[in-house]
Amino acid sequence: MSPIRTALAIAGACALATTGVDLATSQEVKQEARPAARPSLTPSNVTQDMLNRAASDGNNFLHTNGDYTQKRYHPAAQINASNVRRLRPAWIFQTDVKESMETSPIIVNGVMYVTTSFSQVYALNAQTGEQLWYYKQPLGPITTYCCGPNNRGVAVADDKVYLATLDAKLVALDAKTGNKVWQTDIADPELGYSETMAPTVVKGKVLIGTNGGEYGIRGFVKAYDAKDGKLLWTFDTIPENSVGVWAEKDATGRDMKRNIQAEKDQLAKTGDPYKTLGGGVWQNPAVDLATNRIFFVVGNPSPDLDGSLRPGDNLYTDSLVSLDLDTGKYVCHLQYIAHDVWDLDAVSPPVLVDVRDKSGKLIPGVLHAGKTGHVYVHDRKDCSLIRFSDAMIPQENMWTLPTAQGARMLPGANGGVEWSPMAVNPQLGLSYAINLHQPMTYQVQSSPYPGGKLWLGGAFKVIPSEEQWGNITAVDYNTGKIRWQVKTPQPMIGGVLATAGGVVFTGEGNGKFNAYDARNGKVLWTFNAGAGVNAPPSTYTVGGKQYVVVAAGGNVQLDFKRGNSIIAFALD
Amino acid sequence: MRRSNTRKAIGVTQTGPLGPVFFIAILGILLLPAPSPAQTIEEKAQLCAACHGENGIPQEKTTPVIWGQYQGYLYLVLRDYKSGARKNDIMSPLAETLAREDMMALALYFSQKRWPDLQQPAAPPDVAARAIRANGSVGCTGCHQGQYQGEGTQPRVAGQYREYLQQTMLDFRTRARGNNPGMTDLMLATSEADIAALAQYMAGLQYLPGQ
Repeated sequence: MSPIRTALAIAGACALATTGVDLATSQEVKQEARPAARPSLTPSNVTQDMLNRAASDGNNFLHTNGDYTQKRYHPAAQINASNVRRLRPAWIFQTDVKESMETSPIIVNGVMYVTTSFSQVYALNAQTGEQLWYYKQPLGPITTYCCGPNNRGVAVADDKVYLATLDAKLVALDAKTGNKVWQTDIADPELGYSETMAPTVVKGKVLIGTNGGEYGIRGFVKAYDAKDGKLLWTFDTIPENSVGVWAEKDATGRDMKRNIQAEKDQLAKTGDPYKTLGGGVWQNPAVDLATNRIFFVVGNPSPDLDGSLRPGDNLYTDSLVSLDLDTGKYVCHLQYIAHDVWDLDAVSPPVLVDVRDKSGKLIPGVLHAGKTGHVYVHDRKDCSLIRFSDAMIPQENMWTLPTAQGARMLPGANGGVEWSPMAVNPQLGLSYAINLHQPMTYQVQSSPYPGGKLWLGGAFKVIPSEEQWGNITAVDYNTGKIRWQVKTPQPMIGGVLATAGGVVFTGEGNGKFNAYDARNGKVLWTFNAGAGVNAPPSTYTVGGKQYVVVAAGGNVQLDFKRGNSIIAFALD
Repeated sequence: MRRSNTRKAIGVTQTGPLGPVFFIAILGILLLPAPSPAQTIEEKAQLCAACHGENGIPQEKTTPVIWGQYQGYLYLVLRDYKSGARKNDIMSPLAETLAREDMMALALYFSQKRWPDLQQPAAPPDVAARAIRANGSVGCTGCHQGQYQGEGTQPRVAGQYREYLQQTMLDFRTRARGNNPGMTDLMLATSEADIAALAQYMAGLQYLPGQ
């Protein structure tokens, strides 16, 4: 996960939600003054069949990343490259929380679910923006998180809405009322665990990972029974033998300058560091329905910059991992960076798409956009790497080891591609990723595990005198070549949506929300939202009209201007 | 929203690090019986007032405001004093006597008090610019939140005593305060001049009430 560094300071007043000082209150559901929900707007049950078919459902947006393959490619095509210039705001909803927004709006038959920082949920009429219900999770006194009180959204299944909270709880809400149905503790926040990701629900299971790579946690993915919150299985992302193969090169073949002998000596002295090795999973897994397997990426080892305390490859940090959905058992993995000391971990959610293998044959593949600035293309069968793309941002001095004084290396620790989900247009064979260029120095300081406290093992420091910028890059994943690239004045973070209308949508920290031509990157339309657009957009159709919706709430990590708006657009 | 000025009610201003009030306060604490389980939280909290102030304004500028601070943070402070991760001649023995539920209850008690207005001036533009630049490098607001208002286990530092803030950041640097190596790392990456600017800037920011 990315630690703490920001581009600029002092956004507008940061509205801090009440943080649950009243432990006795079990929940609070505010039914705001509003006309009674129309019968047609009673939230519908979401069947497994609907969830499976999401990729061809032009009316709804049922998963955080569109469908189980996480392509974020939506079939609605009413808004297209030739008419997108006529896109206008249809409605704006303002939440009660003016703080960093990373929510992916979920839309089910005209009802939209969005979340805000501090794990709050709104159900809205997707056609009008009218509020249907509001759920405010009473957070416990202990919340431990490095990079903002973010929440990336809910999952829907059957008659429930699922939320994971900043104080590491999993909550099921009644989709019709917002009332809590059940709640379960995922992990102890005092030990550094927290939740910002949206859950994934599949075949009666709620899948959830954890944050905490900056706090010496031991990461996991857990599956809970969607009906009652009972724990079904746990996969520890850090195995008890985390040493691996003493890899000297990264997945692209570059020497990581490890001192293997020193690591082996340390291992003999202190043993396997698996208990505090980090390895958070804080982005949704992709689900391969055909093989009943899930694919997710695992974050950085703890402490971020100090490798001296954690000898070995630090499996399965900085890796793509696949598990069996029913049992949570390991199937395969590929580690991008063994023994990472730069926090250049794997965070952007993986995407399942058919790809050309080295011989040109079309096979089931997996894509992941790395903080390194490469799009990695894998064989889904065994996680092996087929190719990696051209670097989407400048890379310099890789892999220079962190020093006590601070060593400059590019990319900076936020990437490349941060958590921002890519979108894929399978018709064009292109993946769209948003990137950061933030020159940093990497500084190492060794200190023992502080027990659930921030544990970086040094500092990443933005070099104030160097220019920062971002870009959106289209990569041909069948060749690894960059097809087009558009530079932006600030580093980019948020997420991308592609549609069958040949349009790609994403936002910028300066408030711009843009539509690009999927084929060539031409900017077709721009709207200024007045606060950072740093959340992934969604799209849906209701009443015969296609809408594109995005949150404009800014970003803590890069200190982009905060806001509290959900904005839906339609053709005028 | 600005809080009313409660400073006048104290009538004593001590600026030296070890002024007479400090010794009187210590004497008062030493003469008070250690907190016992039978005591109410209000009674236990009385002990804290000797240094942290009867109405939330500490006797010494190197003593932090705890009124209106977050429950999660105050709990961690007490926990760390008890465990020895953080050390202080006054606080360590006091925390030793507290059970987890006492710490949580005390933390809740003080979190529900009103943050006092210490009447510290806003930093001049050049100091503010330096502080903003330093934040741009190491990202204080990533944890301490927008406008340095804190949340949960991250302390509010806006409107805290400038002297306390500066001393704390320097103590992280030297590991005199050793209960947060992450802060030590970040402060080691920040110059003393930047730390001084940050302290002045944060002290001059306003308390912004949550929702």
